[in-house]
Amino acid sequence: MTDRIKKVVTGVVGNDIHVVANRLIDISLQARGYEVFNLGVNTYLEEFIDAVIETDADILLISSLNGEAEGWCRDLQFLRSEYQLKDVVFVIGGNLAVGEAKCEDIVPKYKAYGFDLVFHQIDLNTGLDTLEAFMQDRITK
Amino acid sequence: MTLLKRERDIITHNEYADRFDFDEIREFITNAPKELFISHTFKHSNKTLVQPRGGFPTYNKMFALYHEFQKANIDVMPLTVDSHTRLNDYASAKKMLMLSEENEVDMLNGYPLVTHGYRTTRKMITHFNTPVSLRHGTPDARLLIETALASGIFEIEGGPITYLLPYSKNFPLDKAFLYWKYVEKICAEYSTLNEPINRESFGPLTATLVPPCITIVIQLLEMLLSLEEGVKSFSVSFAQHGSVMQDIVSANVLRKTANYYAQKIGCSDATINIVYHQWMGAFPRNKELSDSLINTSTVIAALVRADKIIVKTRDEAFGIPTMQCNAQSVANTKYTLQVLNGLPNISDAAEEENLEAEIHSIMEAVLNDSADTLWRKAFNSIKNGIIDVPFSPHIINHNAVITIRDAQSNIRIIEKGKLPISEKCFAFERSHVSLSDDKTAVINKIICDIGVMHE
Repeated sequence: MTDRIKKVVTGVVGNDIHVVANRLIDISLQARGYEVFNLGVNTYLEEFIDAVIETDADILLISSLNGEAEGWCRDLQFLRSEYQLKDVVFVIGGNLAVGEAKCEDIVPKYKAYGFDLVFHQIDLNTGLDTLEAFMQDRITK
Repeated sequence: MTLLKRERDIITHNEYADRFDFDEIREFITNAPKELFISHTFKHSNKTLVQPRGGFPTYNKMFALYHEFQKANIDVMPLTVDSHTRLNDYASAKKMLMLSEENEVDMLNGYPLVTHGYRTTRKMITHFNTPVSLRHGTPDARLLIETALASGIFEIEGGPITYLLPYSKNFPLDKAFLYWKYVEKICAEYSTLNEPINRESFGPLTATLVPPCITIVIQLLEMLLSLEEGVKSFSVSFAQHGSVMQDIVSANVLRKTANYYAQKIGCSDATINIVYHQWMGAFPRNKELSDSLINTSTVIAALVRADKIIVKTRDEAFGIPTMQCNAQSVANTKYTLQVLNGLPNISDAAEEENLEAEIHSIMEAVLNDSADTLWRKAFNSIKNGIIDVPFSPHIINHNAVITIRDAQSNIRIIEKGKLPISEKCFAFERSHVSLSDDKTAVINKIICDIGVMHE
């Protein structure tokens, strides 16, 4: 998986219609040279997994703006092993809690759900820079 | 029995709706006072009419809201419908209305018109004897519009494109076209009884960096879809762009092209009016600054000679405004319009020529589609990306057009996707922006451009 263009499946999880951020993520990923499969707003976890399998994606980038992502992502670990997706990088970002919450509480929680990278209220470009560095790291390893 | 009559029977026989007495409804509309028809008001007024948004769940609170508006000397009353009714979930609307009535807490974000029914609502509408405009966002508005017209609400906002692409992810667009065709037919039929029923399109769309050519093409198409069914009074609309020049150019070109295309399909007897929406994007959280933004919008509405302005309130950043706050905004807007006199005629020949050329190119591509009816041509064009609305959540939308603001805050197209505009027009658009090679900087610029009215 070194040379070919990386494929990303992205979308907003659950009953969340925050389309502006979703479009900006799409454009940003394209600008960084990724092939993007954007499932848009109001997407369920099963739909994300289906798309990852169908497109043979390298990365799944889920976003959530209304803070309800936790309820939607509990089954991730199960689906990940069920479909043998251990090579796919799982990323979640946005506003990951309803009300105020600390990053040091949120990040380990989502990592336990099966995400490799967790961005709670992190600026879009900082998040994507971190993702690129993470991908680079994997190649060199 | 005609197909329409059969459809009508099915639609109006609904356990959550009034039993429709069509003979009585026709008699009511035939004898309704002229003051209830905005088409009549438009005809006999040369000022900009002022209309807020507003809707509360219970009859009493809605009545109180209208009373506040009346004190503010309002021109057009709004009736904003709750979100359950918009999605045809009349059972939830009924339950939430009961809870609102019992507990005096608003459990709905608007007036559940179908649940109240036309017999009840008509009492309120005829009491205030002022035109009422229906504001909703419903893809399948057939029962809602039957109820509205029977209630004495003679202006219906919306359309198959403008009430779908900004609001829905996967409601089928072809169904929306057919459901709205029903609405146009009913409006046209009732228009023969008294003054015409006015239809209004929703120009703001996603209110997020939509370029004028896309807004106007969609306004023209919804206007044509309405006129071809026999509607005689139609309002095209757009929202404040963030650049005064772009607002003025849009109004001039919209006025000109609307008349041109109406004439082209043999409907020049229809009256076309222009509606201006005060800033529809994110508002500042400081209420005094919001007042200032609202006042600026009013000045621009006067400059573009809008026939109607739809007002915001200083509570916009926080949620549904109180009725007092809403009425105050109406009064302020009316005052600003009253003192704004001696406005100059402004135009920009180069900008208008470019915008007009873009519109004609897109319209030509739509009308040249091989489908047999206008709604199918419009449907195919959206599916093909010939019409592409920035930041629409709908799965059918292409999302290939990218726009950005230039130094004067005009919205410019930097990626045209499948938009069939000429190379000359595209070069004109791009010549106004100097884009950094750093894509990240461009995206940061777009983020700033969306929040252009923040303090």
